[in-house]
Amino acid sequence: MKQCIKHALLLFLLVGAVNSEAALRVVTTTEDLAAIARAIGGAGVDVVSLTPGTRDPHFAEAKPSMIRKVSRADLLILIGADMEIGWLPPLLQSARNGRVQSGKAGYLDLSLVVPLLGKMAGPVSRAMGDVHAKGNPHYWLDPRNGARMARAIAIRFGELDPPGQADYQTRLAAFEQTLKQKLKEWQTTLSLIRGQAVIAYHTSFIYLADAFGFSIVDEVEPMPGIAPSAAHLSQLVQQIKSEQIDLLIMEPYYERRSARYLHDQTGIRIAVLPQSVGALPKIETYVDLFDRIVAILSQTGGG
Amino acid sequence: MFNHLHRITSMGILMGACAIFSLPGLAAEDSSLLRQQLIELQQQMQQSQQAYQSRLQALEQRLKQLELEKITLANPAIVRDQTSPSDLPSSQGSPLRIGLSGLFAAGGSTADNDELEDLQGGGHDPNRNGFTVQNVELSLGATVDPYFDAQANIIFLVDREGETEVELEEAFMTTRHLPWGLQVKGGQYFTEFGRQNPQHPHTWAFADQPVVLSRFFGGDGLRSQGARVSWLAPTPWYSELYLGAQNANGETVTSFLAEGAGGDPTDPENIGGHVLIDRDGRDQSDLLYSARWLNGFDLSDTLSMNVGFSGLIGPNTSGRSTETTIVGTDVYLKWQPAYVQRGFPFVSWHTEVLQRHYEAGDSADPTQETLKDWGLFSQVLWGLRPGWVAGLRAEFAEADGGVSTDDDPFRDRRKRLSPNLTWYPSEYSKLRLQYNRDWAEHLDGGNADSLFLQMEFSLGSHAAHTF
Repeated sequence: MKQCIKHALLLFLLVGAVNSEAALRVVTTTEDLAAIARAIGGAGVDVVSLTPGTRDPHFAEAKPSMIRKVSRADLLILIGADMEIGWLPPLLQSARNGRVQSGKAGYLDLSLVVPLLGKMAGPVSRAMGDVHAKGNPHYWLDPRNGARMARAIAIRFGELDPPGQADYQTRLAAFEQTLKQKLKEWQTTLSLIRGQAVIAYHTSFIYLADAFGFSIVDEVEPMPGIAPSAAHLSQLVQQIKSEQIDLLIMEPYYERRSARYLHDQTGIRIAVLPQSVGALPKIETYVDLFDRIVAILSQTGGG
Repeated sequence: MFNHLHRITSMGILMGACAIFSLPGLAAEDSSLLRQQLIELQQQMQQSQQAYQSRLQALEQRLKQLELEKITLANPAIVRDQTSPSDLPSSQGSPLRIGLSGLFAAGGSTADNDELEDLQGGGHDPNRNGFTVQNVELSLGATVDPYFDAQANIIFLVDREGETEVELEEAFMTTRHLPWGLQVKGGQYFTEFGRQNPQHPHTWAFADQPVVLSRFFGGDGLRSQGARVSWLAPTPWYSELYLGAQNANGETVTSFLAEGAGGDPTDPENIGGHVLIDRDGRDQSDLLYSARWLNGFDLSDTLSMNVGFSGLIGPNTSGRSTETTIVGTDVYLKWQPAYVQRGFPFVSWHTEVLQRHYEAGDSADPTQETLKDWGLFSQVLWGLRPGWVAGLRAEFAEADGGVSTDDDPFRDRRKRLSPNLTWYPSEYSKLRLQYNRDWAEHLDGGNADSLFLQMEFSLGSHAAHTF
């Protein structure tokens, strides 16, 4: 028995010694953050996302494998604004990594570098559903915020890894340049949708609407995070007909029955938009994400 | 721009002059000429005004565009220093997390209330025909300082006599970041044995606790005062080793230095009918030692698995030098497809097998023997659609040795099958319907059918997003 334990301990230590050496080990809570971090960090920075792009980062589950990743990280990048409140605090506690605790240089909350929309004025009650008092956390869906996030990431990379600072700034400049050009392209492509009234499934597209100038007039969910009732759906049918709303946008992970019902009743067109890098196949970079969103919107919307 | 202004002013002067000169008594041809000139002037003015306005608009547009580009792409306007202390609490919620959860049940069974109390051995199980306040739990938690986190859970119960009981379920502190992957926890806490034991009643997937846990760990689960060290091993997969020592006496450490009630076999703290002696912990060898090795793997993007091995060794009250050992294995598998809405759908499978060796009586005791008990439970949960979970649990427990196991509700052969259906209107409330089919040797008819309706609310930050 004692021999057995000794061997097991030895095995642990040996395996632990063969870890790969990167300039920075970065853990992000979502694939969008990982994509931007990879664009800034290049090959020398090891970036891994805790949640896949196909899932709602709000409802991730703290799995043991995540503890492993966070425990070895030099930097943790998160969405913030309570997006990860349900699973990140216990994860941080279990990971026992002093470098990435809140307040340390290895903890980067990007909700602090973007202007948050949808902040709640007045008291917030759970009777209002899943509202975020600090503001809507889906801010990565505005490419202008992408530039802000990239800049904050580049600054933090430079602080944690001073020898790489110049490289990070160079990559940041290239990223910003691409985004600037692309933004014009996307806005031109989506000029038809400008000013249009749109219905969303969840309150997750307000930043996208802000970036491309359309307005979200209502949601399929009666309150954030509350499943649509028959009464709410029939009310939506009336609204879609009377206001002649022609487009419904939703994430791939939401149920399609409600949208299909609204389509059958009113003929409203449905655009299933990737909300994150990795939410649909072949979306690997932050630019890919908007390329796809714009492609889907220009095919479906803009009538 | 000044050119435009100049033109407008001069036109104004001209128009004023026209008004002065267009006096009655002027020649008709002069008047018509003037009128024509006036019309021309008006048209000119309108044109230049339009041109002026459109240029102004274009300029404004350009200015906006420039500002936008400046802010967004070259120079983020509001990059704040994230390390400033004022920002610290903003992403982790309020500094003190306060939560209150209430768990209630209504039940009906073919067994009477006395039988039901034995069948539902858990202290938080619905255990009577009628209503049960299963658990009202006040929890407080926060980061103490840069070195510690702390948490306390205080339980309120209403017993069968209608009296309110208060229990300090847990109160412990945990280190935040010791080197080498170590963590120390100290205070009053649930022993990390298996997956189910450290879980609080409001996170259970079923209305009651598994039979084998009620038998080995008593109604409240295994918890005591002590300290433990855990080590996060530097392996490529998640692997954590826990070693702990806790006081072995008290009613929450059944199987060890619990005080029984004479030789009454129906007392759950009295094991195998053996007379318990007054034995208190004297030195460190009379502590309860625990070990757990937990591993976690992602088998694929959609399937994850945890495997744990746990062991306990400590003194028991059937003799001066008698010991109890308990070992257990737990397996947890969870499948979730690539696309999930609010954590649904999912399928999870959780199984634990436990075995206890209870040395009953010292070597001088003529009835000296080793009582062997074992049991298992296996439960499958299916989150079929957002907010809806169907579950099925199967259990088995038996023992050998002792006076007779047939009449002992805590050592007889028992089987239980429990299907249930839970609806979560939101993450903060739930309604659960559970049916229990019991087969137990100690029951007169050999079996019993029970139905429980359970409801729960959760206030504050405690139980946010538990699924």
